[in-house]
Order: sequence, then structure tokens, then C-alpha cells
Amino acid sequence: MFKLVMWSLVHVLVAFLLTTTSFASPESEAEAFFQRNDAGGHTNNWAVLVCASRYWFNYRHMANALGMYRTVKRLGIPDSNIILMLADDVSCNARNKFPGAVFANSGHNGAERLDLYGENIEVDYRGYEVTVENFIRLLTGRVDPSVPPSKRLLTDSSSNVFIYMTGHGGNEFLKFQDNEEISAFDVADALEQMWQKNRYNEVFFMIDTCQANTMYSKIYSPNVLATGSSELSENSYSYENDNDIGVSVIDSFTHHVLQFMEGINKTSHASMQDLFHTYTFESIRSHAGVRSDLFRRPLDKTKITDFFGGVAQAGTVPPVSEDEEIEATNITDLEGSASSGAGSYGAVLEDFASSEHAFGAWSPSRAWGAVAVLVVGCGVVFSLSCQI
Amino acid sequence: MAYAIPAAIAGRFLLSFTSIYDSLKYDHLLTSPLTSYPRLQEGVFLYKHGIDPYSGGGFYHSPLLLSLFSTVLPQYSPIPQLLWASCDIISAYSLAQIWRLRSKDETGRRDGRIAGSYLLNPYLFLPSLALSTSSLENALFLTAIVFACRGKTVPSLFTLALLSHLSLPSVLFLPPFVMLLHVSPTSALASATKESTLRLGSSIKSFFIFAICMSFASVCNLITTGGWDWVYRTWGTGLLLPDLSPNTGLWWYFFTEMFDHFRPYFLMVFSVHLLIYVAPVCMKFKHDPLFAIFILQGLLAIFKPYPTLSDPGLFLSMISVFPEIFPYLRHPIVTALLHLHASLLLPLFHSLWLAQGTGNANFFYASTLVFGMANGAAVTDCMWAGLRVAFGQKDGVEYVQE
Repeated sequence: MFKLVMWSLVHVLVAFLLTTTSFASPESEAEAFFQRNDAGGHTNNWAVLVCASRYWFNYRHMANALGMYRTVKRLGIPDSNIILMLADDVSCNARNKFPGAVFANSGHNGAERLDLYGENIEVDYRGYEVTVENFIRLLTGRVDPSVPPSKRLLTDSSSNVFIYMTGHGGNEFLKFQDNEEISAFDVADALEQMWQKNRYNEVFFMIDTCQANTMYSKIYSPNVLATGSSELSENSYSYENDNDIGVSVIDSFTHHVLQFMEGINKTSHASMQDLFHTYTFESIRSHAGVRSDLFRRPLDKTKITDFFGGVAQAGTVPPVSEDEEIEATNITDLEGSASSGAGSYGAVLEDFASSEHAFGAWSPSRAWGAVAVLVVGCGVVFSLSCQI
Repeated sequence: MAYAIPAAIAGRFLLSFTSIYDSLKYDHLLTSPLTSYPRLQEGVFLYKHGIDPYSGGGFYHSPLLLSLFSTVLPQYSPIPQLLWASCDIISAYSLAQIWRLRSKDETGRRDGRIAGSYLLNPYLFLPSLALSTSSLENALFLTAIVFACRGKTVPSLFTLALLSHLSLPSVLFLPPFVMLLHVSPTSALASATKESTLRLGSSIKSFFIFAICMSFASVCNLITTGGWDWVYRTWGTGLLLPDLSPNTGLWWYFFTEMFDHFRPYFLMVFSVHLLIYVAPVCMKFKHDPLFAIFILQGLLAIFKPYPTLSDPGLFLSMISVFPEIFPYLRHPIVTALLHLHASLLLPLFHSLWLAQGTGNANFFYASTLVFGMANGAAVTDCMWAGLRVAFGQKDGVEYVQE
């Protein structure tokens, strides 16, 4: 009897000694991963691109929005994470000399025109659906139950949202579809609702209209970075006309930003500060502004791809050396490996693999240990029984 | 007759060299998610390659099997088949030993028939050919009973603890085992009124020994997997029913069509349903605990979460150890015909549902219900007969209740 008790205690002790790996809490591991590289804690990216104008002569606003759309898609945000609001009456307009195409650059000097409309765009709100009410409902998430998921902003508290608006504007207002206006206060309140509902991690608000900087002057929610094309009482100008299309095809500010973006790819480490430093009155022809007082990270540490791209992060896994049968899994440290991710995906793989590694290293010895213990146990039991 | 058993044994070993396993290994009647050999192979493979086999979700075997099959027991055919054949032989031998201890028969005259009833029972040898670990469970169960009949406390409870690690419902056999350890296994069905020789102190000591054996096996499991995940994944499977593969039991169909908010309640009901049989059966048969174990095994075989054919098969084979009840069975032919009916319908409707596609799950579940009815008829008949033996014939007059 006493022998049994002692022997079982010894075994419990042995088991405790053999038990390995106490993990740090999963939450702190995940947080450490997402905060590294000054990533700011976002895991996915969304973009809301709004062209608030309609009619043929506002061709350039459509081209602005489509240019941003193309850039954002190129840098990795998938259509499922982009909400594109366009009046969409330009590409198939009777006046369009190039039907089914929208260009953002003129064809003079024999330049190649880049078709932004193409075959592969997904417009979520088109025509008369682009209203102030729909825009505010989209941002705040207070949509009718019948609204399909593709038209909702399904962000969470670790989403970085890029909001781009273009159209005709004025002092603290933006004209929607020649019909109604949204004011800077509406935008500020919508963003505050988003903040209260944990619908964003950080917002980058870009606006290209006349007197654009007034539109972001009323925002009061944290983690918002804003930039606009012109100051109060200042107009924003278009960049160039196209003689074949007959109207202006792109606005200066958006053109400037898109030119900058052409030099950016998914692996770029360029920061927002780099973008803002390129603003000059000569190239934009208005005083573009930046508002960063609500933004908690330093601008030179905030990457362009934090807002414009869908960048996946991965980590290296040390090879499992014991067993030659498994090929060593080496995932080299890439940023933006696959465009399948809309954001930095946790390769908590690294930590997971290291825990697996610990499991694997021990398992043959573990199994033999357990079998040995079992055999010893059986031996003791049956020898005891012979005595009984 | 003397050649029957060696022939059966030889046949069984010969069969292990065929490739019949390959056609039977996925059969839903012969194996369940808890006992399937391909799942065990997968778990061992994952374990050997350093991946936690319990993280996947398809592996529900105990870490005891994991450790044994990844180290000492090789998996090259035909060694597992030979191993299972040996388990069958051990089980048949144990059953014969139980008979000898119960009937105090030293001549071994009936041994052949007893061993034959185990080896030739198709409900038992088919799962064994499919390498279902329920055959290992049967072997452990019968050897535990042999030790208990001999009064050897520690080996019996140790084997029962190992069995409980493989199949959690077997932990419910503890009370009748404890009772059996302290009385002789000879048939006392006829003398139901004699005083029980059970003592409280020795019972508590037995429970304590069982607890130590269970924790010893748990420690082995802890060493194997390095954590306590296995508790949730092995024992938790029978309680939470994550896998709803069809089997010969009664649980799976219920839970496939159950709303999620009723699940916890019905899981509790079905589990408590198993518990409620233990006390009445033990109390009613406290004069003959071996019979109590027999009846309880039959009941658990019907109502356990993931049964295979070998669970009721063991019950039917064990009937041969209790010939005193044969004259008092009321409807053995009905039971036999129900079993015949069920054994024809089960594979037929299974194939109709899953192979041909002209039937649906209701067909198969109906045949499972018929099978359950057949087993229920067998258990209730044996229970009746076991109680009826106590009345018997007195003074040449048939004792009949008014």
C-alpha cells in the first residue's frame, strides 16, 4: 500500500520534471508580433474611395477615384476590402470618344494612355446610390439589414482605413452628385462613431477638392491622419486636359500623389513623411495640407503601405533538424509575399512552429518514456499480485 | 470437438495474413472514430513527425495507444493483424478462465464451446479483422474480470484503469468490479437472499487503488503528450460528441439534427442515462456481481456514445458463461431473429445510403434501432432470467407469482 503511494508520487514528480514549455500568454505574443516593425497594430487594410461628382465634365473626378483604386489594388488591397463609390456615368457616356475606358493621362506627346476602367473593376455604389446618407451609413456601419456584405465596411479594431474623397467642395463642405452636401462636421462625427464602435485602428483621410483642407479641420477622433489638396479660399486645379476626350482627365493633387505611388511597390519602406515632403506649390499648384495632430505614430515611421497596401508579414521558421524526412520549412522574411492577404497576417507561425519544434524534439523520447513507465507499472502490479 | 478451437485459432491467424483489413478498415459498423485503426495510424504518424496529433481533430485514441504504437508495436503488416489475433486468443482464453472460475470446473469440458462462442462470433471477429481497437478493449475487459474473479485487486483494477483510459464509459464498471473482488465468482443467482460479504473498508480501499491506477495511466499520458490536452480530446469525445460519423449506436443521428442550443442539455441527458444503470443493476445483483458486470456490459454496449459491433458481440459471447439462465430465457428465438434481422439490415442499409445513394440516413438509423432493440431484448431477457433463477423450483412445485 505504502509502496503504491510512494511510487505514484515519484511518477507524478517525474512527470512534472518532464513537462516542457510554458508559453507566454497568447495575447502578449500576438501583440508583440503585431507591434514589431512599428506596424502600429493593424492586421488588415480597407479603402473607401468616393467620387462625389457626376456628369461628363467631371471626368477628372472619376479618373481620380479610379486612379486611386488601381493604385490601392496594385499594392495589395483586394476588392473585398475596397468600397468604390462612383457615379460611373463617364465610361459609357455618349460623349466618350473611347467608350468603356477612362484615362487619367492625356495622350499628347504620344504618351500611352492607361485605361483605368478596364475589365476588372468592382464598383460598389454606383449612380444614384452615391449619396451622403449611404456614405455616412457605410462608415458608421448603420446599414439596412438588406445591404449585402460587399457594400458594407466590415472593418474591425485592427483595420487601417484609407478614405479618399474627390469632387467639388468648398469651405467645410463637399458636394455630392450635384444634389446635396456633406459637411466637415458630418465627416468628423462619422469618424467619431467609427472610433466609438472600434471600427478602425487608424484612418488616413485624403481629399482632393477646392478648399479641401477645411474638410478635415473638424475631425476630433484619435488615430486620424489627414491630407487635403488646398487651403481655405484656395482652388484645386486639374492637371491636364486631353484634346481627344475634350475634358480634364486628372486633378493636380491626385496626379501628384499617384505619380509618387508609381514608385511604390509592396515591399517599399517609404513613409508618409516622404510623401508629404514632396508636396510643393509648384507641382500641385495649391497649398496641400497635412493634419497629424490626432495621429499617434511619428510620420516618418508610418509606412505608405500601412494604408495603401495589403501587406502580409511572415517570419522565418528554424528547420526541424531531428527528422530528415521532413523538408525544412524556410519561409524567408518577406513583406508583401502574396497579394492574398489584405493586411499583415500574423505569422504567429514563428512562435507556433517553435512550440511544435519543442513538441517534435521530445516526442520519441516521450513515447519511450511513457512506455517504459507503463511497463514498469505493469511489472510492479503483477509482481505485487503474485505476493497477494 | 477438440479440434474446433485449434482450428479456429489457426484460422484466425491465417486470416491475419490476408488483406481483408483493407476492405474493412473504414467500415462504420466495425469501427468508430474512437477505435478506427487508420486514425490511429495517422495520429502515430503526426506524433512521430513532431506535430501534436490532438490538434488536428480527427484523432481520438488514448495517448497510451499512441505511445505503444509509436515505439514498441510496429505498424508493418501483418504485425498489427497478428497482434489483434493474439488479443482475440487472449480474450477467448480469459472467457474460458472466467467460466472455469465460475463453475469451479477443472475438467475444461466446456472450454471449447466458450472459446468458440468468442472466436466464432462474427460480431467480434469482424471488428478484429478491421483492426478496431475495441478488440483490445474487450481483451482488457475480460482479463480484468479474470483477475477480479481470482480476487487479485491490484491487477484487476489496474487493467480496468487501462481500459477506462481507452474507453471512458468503462469506468462505470468500477462498482461491480469492486463487489466482485470481495465475493467468489461462483454462481449465486439461485441464492439471491444470502447476505452480501461486502465490507465498506475494503471497498473504499479498492476505489482508492483504482484512483491511483487511473492517475498512473494519466501520468503516462502526460509524459507522452506533454500536456493535459488529451483529456479533452479522448475522454471529452465521448462526452461532447464532436464526431458524428455513423456507427451502430444511438447517439449520432440524434445529434446530427439537433439545434445547437439543445446540445449541452441532450449530451448531459445521454451521459447521465449511462450513469443511471449502474446503481440499480449492482443493487439487484449484489449477490452475483459477475452477472451484474455482464448485464451492465450489455446495457453500456447499447447506449455508449461510439459503440461498434464488438460491444454487443461481447455481451452475446458472455452469455455462454451463464448457462444457468438458459432454461429461464423467455424469448431467445425472438432475440436471435431480431439479431439476424439487424445483422442483415445494417450492412444493407449502410450500403444503400452511402454506397448506392438510393437510401438515406434514416434507413441506416432504423436498422441501428432494430439492432438496439435486439440487444435490448437480449439484455432484458438475461436480466429476467437471472432474477428468475432465484425462484426456481421448490419442493417439486413451480413457484409462480400470484
